[in-house]
Order: sequence, then structure tokens, then C-alpha cells
Amino acid sequence: MSAGVSLLKRTAIEANTFVQRLDGRVKFLFFIWATLLAYIFYDPVLNLIIIGFTLALAAHAKVLKPIALTLAIIIVPWILFAVPILSLPLGFPWNKTVIGYIEIFGRKYPVYLEGLGWGFTWPLRIAVTISTALLFFLTTNQAKLAATLVKMRLPFKAIYVVIAALQFIPLLAREAEVIMQAQRARGLRTDVDILQRIKNYLAVVIPLTLTSLNKVQIRAIALESRGFSAPVRKTLVYEVSFTRLDHAFLAGIAVATAFLAWIYVTYGYSPISHLPWVWAG
Amino acid sequence: MSTVIRVENLTYAYPTGRDFVLKNISFEVQRGEVLAVIGPNGAGKSTLLKSLNGLVPHFYGGRYGGRVIVAGHEVLKTPISTLSTKVGFVFQDPEDQISGLALTVWEEVAFGLMMLGYPREIIEERVREAIDYVGLKGLENRSPFELSGGEMQRLAIATVLAVKPEVIVMDEPTAQLDPLGKFEVLSVVKRLAEEGTTIVITEHEIEDVVYFADKMLLLDNGRAVAYGDAREVVAMVNELKSRGVDPPSVTELAHLLYRKLGVNASYPVTLEEAVEVFSRLLGG
Amino acid sequence: MPEVLVRVEDLWFRYSESSPWALGGVSLSVARGELIAVIGQNGGGKTTLAKCIAGLLKPTKGRVLVEDLDTRTTPTHEIVKRVGYVFQNPSHQIFESRVLEEVAYGPRNLGLTPEEVRSRVEWALSEVGLKGYEDYNPYDLDYGKMKLLTVASVLAMKPKVLILDEPTTGQDHRGRHLLAELALKLNEEGTTVIIITHDMRFVAETARRAILMAGGEIVLDGPTREVLYAVEVLKKNAIKPPQVVQLSVELKRRGVNISALTVREALEEMLDVLEKSARACSGG
Repeated sequence: MSAGVSLLKRTAIEANTFVQRLDGRVKFLFFIWATLLAYIFYDPVLNLIIIGFTLALAAHAKVLKPIALTLAIIIVPWILFAVPILSLPLGFPWNKTVIGYIEIFGRKYPVYLEGLGWGFTWPLRIAVTISTALLFFLTTNQAKLAATLVKMRLPFKAIYVVIAALQFIPLLAREAEVIMQAQRARGLRTDVDILQRIKNYLAVVIPLTLTSLNKVQIRAIALESRGFSAPVRKTLVYEVSFTRLDHAFLAGIAVATAFLAWIYVTYGYSPISHLPWVWAG
Repeated sequence: MSTVIRVENLTYAYPTGRDFVLKNISFEVQRGEVLAVIGPNGAGKSTLLKSLNGLVPHFYGGRYGGRVIVAGHEVLKTPISTLSTKVGFVFQDPEDQISGLALTVWEEVAFGLMMLGYPREIIEERVREAIDYVGLKGLENRSPFELSGGEMQRLAIATVLAVKPEVIVMDEPTAQLDPLGKFEVLSVVKRLAEEGTTIVITEHEIEDVVYFADKMLLLDNGRAVAYGDAREVVAMVNELKSRGVDPPSVTELAHLLYRKLGVNASYPVTLEEAVEVFSRLLGG
Repeated sequence: MPEVLVRVEDLWFRYSESSPWALGGVSLSVARGELIAVIGQNGGGKTTLAKCIAGLLKPTKGRVLVEDLDTRTTPTHEIVKRVGYVFQNPSHQIFESRVLEEVAYGPRNLGLTPEEVRSRVEWALSEVGLKGYEDYNPYDLDYGKMKLLTVASVLAMKPKVLILDEPTTGQDHRGRHLLAELALKLNEEGTTVIIITHDMRFVAETARRAILMAGGEIVLDGPTREVLYAVEVLKKNAIKPPQVVQLSVELKRRGVNISALTVREALEEMLDVLEKSARACSGG
């Protein structure tokens, strides 16, 4: 089970494709690299290409559903909301270039390129970040992930806290369910007004927080007793080293970078969509 | 050196507590001995156990007096990480001991050795041994979270065994388990005891503990009220009951029966002994 | 003939389409005034059954009738007025900063007037023996008192049936005695009590009827004496009868006719046996 899988309550089936076999550092680099690209270039179509590539990898690795779901929940409504508001004459300050007209309730309204571009590009930039980060999380198992982060010289305790937290989220969900039942046994009702709902919320959140803090403390004690703080070099049970697959992927990233650098120099920051410059674009 | 644990006048108060939780406690544990610590909740049993591996005072702070020497190290002057190689600690709730970093039972047992920087070859060997010993062979690839209570607690014991400590300390290891889990865990403890492991254990299941405890320490309100041979302490029926501890049913029965009959004899402490004694007494 | 309060008719339950059946065709009825212990290994269905009776879980197949209300069609808050469920872990319920507020939560949810709530709270606290603790912070109480607090907070809703889920787990012997006394007192005063427990001694000393569950089915259901003496069945389900029962069984095998459930009973029976044999000796 990978770190992200336990996070998202086992929505992905654990598979063993080349994506899972890629070193965690490579996938992390891909996430950083893709995000940087999306921000250096101001081009929604380029973003879509990157997202498409990531989703293809995800599909092959059988983790498509959670990523697609997250994008559907966060990005799609955002685009549907932002594009009309920004591209119609509703006050977006950089709207200059009219690319067409649209008829609403019998009146004609101009559609501006600047707003349209912005409305598409920004959500898609975020989508690149989210999809590549999720790909990393969902296809890297936590022991290997820990080994990866240790190799990257991050402090062991910090690594542990993050990864263990992911493992325990399903446990937390289960606790919340039991607490909910316990309070329902005392008459908590869900068919009530907003004020009562807030009280209901507290009746679950407070015990949940207290039990969680308590459990965290007990676990810290148990780990201390097992030598968690021993000032020795921790043995990594997993060997983390680059394989040919990793080298190939890294080479691909290097080639793509060179290509895109040339494109940037030759065709500018918006090579495909040719969006005009917008401040903060 | 045959004395593995020496506690001299141990006195302790938690930083947030007004009262002293341990008051002037002294006892010794020899190599190969099993010491059972009994007493009502709040007597200080857990605190006493935690003072054997350094959690008290290093993790909790507080006010500390007296001396505790474990496997040649003075606890007050030794960090927990060093003591963790000498003292293996098993806690009450099996789920609370799972690290959260291991995907499988195998990794979980290896985790401790990993923490302590043992070389890979040794890890492989020790993990296999420990898993076999507690009877979890075949479950190496399961997720620790999928195990039953009894299996999880045996996993915790395995993680301790892998480090090969000099003393194993167990704080009410069966309290949260169902009858089958209790049986599984107590069987492992019994086996460890028979094979000469030095153990300090607190338990409410006194009827089971008498089978393998050599010495018993009765704690109440932070004080060592009784300390000695397990058979002798467990037979102090009035002393135990007045402090809210039930002796084994057969022992209590013998106590009441002998008193009524005016018999002066030692009480049976196990079922088997009781069967012998009572069948003779009642003419079977 | 006491009225039947709860009727479970061919109850089947599973958590989702893809999970295994947690309950497989369970049927039983609970009459007013009963004191029932439900025993069995974890995963056997005890808690699931209890939660179905309390309306916290709805049957997948079959039905549960609480005072002739079908739990499938009646809203949960109506059922919990009649069947109170005290969860095992007090931390899963406690969220107020004063004992008074904590106990008042239940009655308030019932829509009672402030005066009625107040009187219920006072009554519940005195029933469990926590009178005087109204202004305490629940987390300043020791575990045993916290347990009593959770019982009080459910009791304050004045349910006809009270379900206690493993009230003795994690408690010391004094705590268990207190709970046994409380259960008996409440039962005497008219509450029907169902206790899920692993503690066979507690069952012997408290319950009049015992139900053994395994694999989602009822394996034994009858008077406590019958169930605890069904030694072979208990063994097959990895449950040890109380030591007194084990003693009686062994003594019987050796010709001593004892069949006691508790230490008190065993004492009386033994004195009886001695008296009879003394008379036989002197008479003969």
C-alpha cells in the first residue's frame, strides 16, 4: 500500500507498472519540473499536454480514478466558473482583444482573449501541480518513500511524522465513525437546524481530537522505547538507487527541457495559444 | 552479574502531579526471574515499569529520587535510546504500538532494528527468528493493521524480541484482548519465562500470572506493600482484597474455607493444586 | 409473564455488499428485567448485535423490534430513548468540560425542559455514585470514574434497556466490582441490562442469562449456570470458564459433588459436603 493510497482510503489498486517502479526522487523531480514549466509558460494548451501525459501515466499505473476525481472536484468547477466571469465584460482589467461575440438573453456580449486565457491557464497550472504531486504519492510506497526522503537528507523524524500521518488517516476516519455512533446513542440527531449541527460537529470533533492527541502521545512513547531517537545512522531496509528506467525517464526530462527551452526562445512564453501578455500571467 | 534490575528507594512525581506516584520503592530482579507487579489502578504500576526503560524520567520529566540500575546502566544517567537495547517494552494497546511506517509484519519487526542502525544481514536473521517464536510465521506479508488483537500484541512482542534485550517489560499486555488473544499472548509469555527470559509484567489476570511468576510486588498508592515469593504474596488474601485486588478464586476459596474450619495450611494458588487439596479435604 | 421488550427476528447484517456477513440469522428475545451477558471472541458479532438492538445499525435482512417499533423504519433517536448503549471507550463520548454538562447532553437531546434535565442529571449521578462531582472536568477523573460517568450520561435518558459494551476491559478488580454492583442495582430497580464482556468471573457473579456468540451466530443461549458449565462448547470457542467452574468440574470428576459459579457458592457447597460426610461418619 502506498502512502497516498492509505490517504485516499484505498481507492487505487496496488499495481506494479513501471510508474510504481520509478524511483521516488524521479517522480518528485517530475512534479517540480512540470509545475515550473506550467508557470514559466503561460499556455493552457501546454498545460493540457502535461496533464494529459500525467493522466496517461496514471491510467497505466491504475491510479487514474483518484487523480481524475480530484481534478474533477477542484479544477473543473473552477474553470466553468472563472472563464465566463473573466472573458465577458465584467471588469477583468486587462480585457482588450475581442475574439468573438456571444448572445445571452437576446443581447450581444464581446468575449475577450485576455480573460479567456487567464480563466483557462491558472486552473490548469494548479491542475498540473495537483496531478503530478498525486502521481508521486499514489505510486510510491511509504517505506520506499521514507528511504527516498532520507537519501534526500531530510530529517528522519520529520519524514516519519508525515508518512505515519498518512497511514493513520483511515484509522482516524474509523474513530470518527465510532464517535458519531456513540453520540447518536445519546440522542444526537442529524435532522436538525444549523445551530444544532454545529453542536453535533463539536460532539464528534472534540472527542476525536482528544483521542487522536492521546494516541499520538502513546505512539511517541512506544517509538521512543524502540530507539526512535537513537543518534545512529538508521539502516534502510530498502535499497534506493537509480535503475535504467530511472535514467531513461531522467533523460527524457532533460531532452524535453532542452526542446522547451528552444521553443521559449523562439516562440515566446505562449507558443501554442499565443496569449497576449497579462500581468501575473 | 546476576542481578539485572536493582531499584533503590525510587521516588517519583510527574511534573503536573502534586503527589508522588512512587514512594520509596526498593526491589531486585535476578536474571531469569519473572516479577509480577500487581495492585489497583493508580497504584503506580505503569509508572514503575516506565522507570525501568528511562521513559521515567527522561520522557516525562518530573521529580525523581532514588536509583534504578538496569543491566549495569543507571537509568537516570542513560538515554532512552541506549536503554531500549537493554529493555524491551510491550504496552497495553496493541494498535498503539504499530509504527505506521511498515507495510508488512516483516517490516514492522525490522523497524526497531532499523531504528538502532543494525546491519542488514543481522536484521534478516533476527526478524525471522522473532516472527517464528511468537507464532506469526506465514503472516509476514500481511499489513499490521489487518491482524487480530492477539496477533498484533504478539507482533509487538516480536519487535521487542528482535532486539534481544536483557529484560522484557510488559504493561498489562492482555488488558485489551479477547479471551483467545489473552491465551495467545500469555502462552508466549509463559514460554519466554520457561526459557529463562527476565520479565517484569503487570497484569490483572492473576490466575494466569501465578503459573509463571517467581516474585510478586504488590503496589498500592505508590508504595510497595508486599514483595516476595509469588506464591506467598498471592496467598495474602486479606492484604490483597483490602487493596482492591482479587487473589485467584481458588486461593480466596481456600482462605475462607480454612478459616471456617480452623485449618492451618498453605493455600493452593493454581487450579491444579486446588483440585488436589480440595479433593483430599472433601474426601473424593 | 414479563413483557418482551426486544425481539430479534432472523437478523442478518453486513457492513457493505462486499463484506462478509457479521450476523447470520440471529433470533432472540429480551424480556423486561433480564440481566444478560453476551460473550464470545472478538469478531463473533456481539457488538454488531448490540448495535442493531440499539438502532445504531439497521438490519440488512430480518428485523429488530424494540417495544414493537421496527428499527428499520423508526428513526434512531426514537430507538435510543428506549435502548441505551454505553460505548467501551469513554473518550469516544466525553466532550464537555463539566460532568454536569456531559450527563445533561443526552436528556437535552430528548427535548426535556431544563428542570427535567436537571433532575435527571442529579438522579443519574447519584445512581452511579458520582454525586458531588458535578463541577469536575471529566478528564480529571480516573478511568473507573470516567466509566461511571459514561453510564450516567446514558442512564439519564432513562432507557428501559441498558447495554454496556465491555465495561470491565481495562479496569482493575475494584472497578469491576463497582460495575457489577451497579448493574445489579439498576436491574433490581427495573432496568433490563445487557452486558458484553470477556470477563467470565464477572458473568458468573452478575448475569442470570448468558449468550455465547461466534461467527455471527448464537451458539449458546440460556441460564448462566448452563452456559458456563457447557465446558466442551466453551473450549471449542477458546473460552475458559471461571476458575470456580473449572474447579467444580474437576472435583466432580473425582467424586466430590460441587457445582458452583462463584467463590461464595463454592464455599457453601463445600461446607455442606463436609457437614454431610461428618454426619455420615458419626451416624455410621
